[in-house]
Amino acid sequence: MYTIQVENLSKSFGNTLAVNNVSFNVERGKIFGLLGPNGAGKTTTIRMINYIMPQDSGEIIINGISVSPKTQKMIGYMPEERGLYKKMKVGEQLVYLAQLKGLTAAEARTKIKYWLKRFNAEDWHGKVVGELSKGMSQKIQFISTIVHDPDIYIFDEPFSGLDPINSELLKEIIIELRKDGKTILFSTHRMEQVEQMCDDICLFNNGKVVLTGNLRAVKKDFGKNTVLLEFQGDDSFLNSLENVRINNRSTNFAEIRILGDLNHQQILETAMKHAEVHKFQLVEPSLNEIFISTVGADNIKNQEALLS
Amino acid sequence: MNWRQIFLVLKREYITRVRSKGFIWATILVPLGFVAFIGVMVFIQIWESDVTFEIGVKDETGQISQSLIEINPNRYLDYSDLSTDSLRVLVQTNEITGYIIFSEDIISEQRNPELIYSGSGGMEFLMSVESDFRQIIREEKLRRADVSDDIKQIFDERVSLDTRRLTRDGLEEDDDTIFLSFVGFLLGIIIFISIFSYGGYVTRGVIEEKTNRIIEVIASSVKPIELLTGKMAGVGALAMTQLGIWIIAFMGLSALAGPIALSLMESSSDMSGNMAAAEAELPAFLDLPSLPPSLIVYFVIFFILGYLLYSSLFAAIGSAADSETDTQQLMMPVALPIFLAYFIMFHTWRSPDSVLSVVSSMIPFFSPILMVTRIAITEVPFWQISIALILMMITFAGTMWISSKIYKVGILSYGSTASYKDLLKWIKQS
Repeated sequence: MYTIQVENLSKSFGNTLAVNNVSFNVERGKIFGLLGPNGAGKTTTIRMINYIMPQDSGEIIINGISVSPKTQKMIGYMPEERGLYKKMKVGEQLVYLAQLKGLTAAEARTKIKYWLKRFNAEDWHGKVVGELSKGMSQKIQFISTIVHDPDIYIFDEPFSGLDPINSELLKEIIIELRKDGKTILFSTHRMEQVEQMCDDICLFNNGKVVLTGNLRAVKKDFGKNTVLLEFQGDDSFLNSLENVRINNRSTNFAEIRILGDLNHQQILETAMKHAEVHKFQLVEPSLNEIFISTVGADNIKNQEALLS
Repeated sequence: MNWRQIFLVLKREYITRVRSKGFIWATILVPLGFVAFIGVMVFIQIWESDVTFEIGVKDETGQISQSLIEINPNRYLDYSDLSTDSLRVLVQTNEITGYIIFSEDIISEQRNPELIYSGSGGMEFLMSVESDFRQIIREEKLRRADVSDDIKQIFDERVSLDTRRLTRDGLEEDDDTIFLSFVGFLLGIIIFISIFSYGGYVTRGVIEEKTNRIIEVIASSVKPIELLTGKMAGVGALAMTQLGIWIIAFMGLSALAGPIALSLMESSSDMSGNMAAAEAELPAFLDLPSLPPSLIVYFVIFFILGYLLYSSLFAAIGSAADSETDTQQLMMPVALPIFLAYFIMFHTWRSPDSVLSVVSSMIPFFSPILMVTRIAITEVPFWQISIALILMMITFAGTMWISSKIYKVGILSYGSTASYKDLLKWIKQS
């Protein structure tokens, strides 16, 4: 059974169709990545899954029932725009948020104690949130998301704005949750994060799903047609290559996607003629490349954000 | 609507606010301010009677100085034997405040008496001197005209109006209209200020959740309408707590203030021979007639409905604004009816039964201020109160409906403050 089923979901704001007939399924116990440039409709979709916003049409089924206040309690949600009440104390605030998710005050207190201890933050209980550093309040934010021990976790752009320590901590949490059989859905516009963590993906562009499925399978389908090249010397030979797309180019590195039936050995020959080759590797395309070749470079909604 | 969620929101709103320093200070300081105000009033009364300004009278007619001294022995001194120059010296050396040379032509040729003085004393002093002389001159003229005592009596008469209220049950009651007019005025102002300040709490609370970016976390657990209801109820409960404390404090203090002030006055009465006047004035502002309980009940009902009506709109403003400074432009259409009601009240408290007062007190956005003022002052027919209440409830249902739609969209839109056009779109789309 799927944990989250999204079928023919649509939502428009005025004349803009933010989410256009979107369908995808999230399997239990998997990490699911929602990818796409900024403004592709990811956050709107996530908000509808969280029952924060009503959909115009389509169906969202969580654990077999349509989205409702009841399904809200099955989900731990960390939005992209996140924050806490600055004037409230850490302990009171966490109890309040947990109570809103259906826990009793006593249950909430036991769990909060556990998590604060787990994050080495036991003595923060009586502190006012406004006094905490940014990194500290991010930890409190994690706790507020997971304290009611839900089945499903949704993180919207979870790594944006996190310091490196908390980024690692969040990764650990996500992997641990997956081990416990929880379902995790997160969105990001940074493809490389997905490659490391996700089981399944769904690519968004302009409000539409352009590609969805198992990450390994998707990559396999595209075949090993990408060359990673590391070299020393003049890189102008790269410009003379035809029928390729060069991603991730820098002074001594290039990721070259072969588009036509050009032989990769030809690339190696050209490279050796002009520069000293340190590394030549044939790999599956990166997600970034897959995204570009699926939607076409011209159709990407927010190219800068994606290619930067 | 899930009542558990609403109650949780209400509890948080109430507890975090009731514990805040600002709230505690305001709750304590207002009654203290009231005490200080009463204290100042009492001291003004006491000090006023202590200060005397002496006027030397050089009576050239030889007929009026005695009567003047009878009117106010502390003020008027008979200096008929002194020369004008010596009187001037007395004023210059501050022995006396001023002098008046009362010549014959003041009576025979209608010339005004002239006070030469150092300039101290102020308007009240001058006015009382003026009235003293007016009385003396009139008496002297009547005496010279040799009119009968009956006619003199007629000139001495001061007619004022005594009033008693006849109730529907046929009972005659003491009429407190003057006192109640001030009460009505005061209650109107209290409601005016309360709606703004507690409505402001609601607006700021909504904006705070938006700028803190916690709103989306909350929205993933609570329906916007539940959040809105809980928030309004929480601040409403806070308002009732504060007003309740103040009402009890005022009643307690007024009960104590009268006797304390009286004893203060009595102890100082030896110092001044002019105490009779002061004692007569004391009850006017301290020994107050009691407020009818029905007035307090109506005050509470109209305050609650007025608060709900306006705070629902204040919440919508908060959700549509991106920061507190941006609320001003949106505040205008909501603030306008409150201010209108406030200005109409200046008319209503003087003529509570005029057409303007009656009609505008039944307009829902004006009722909370104007109807309470009218109920305090005059006998408002029950049908008018009922219409005002029913219209307010219907209007509240409408404002709540509109506001919840704006709120639902507004809380999730960051980045810019909505225009009126946006608001209209939001109301239509959801």
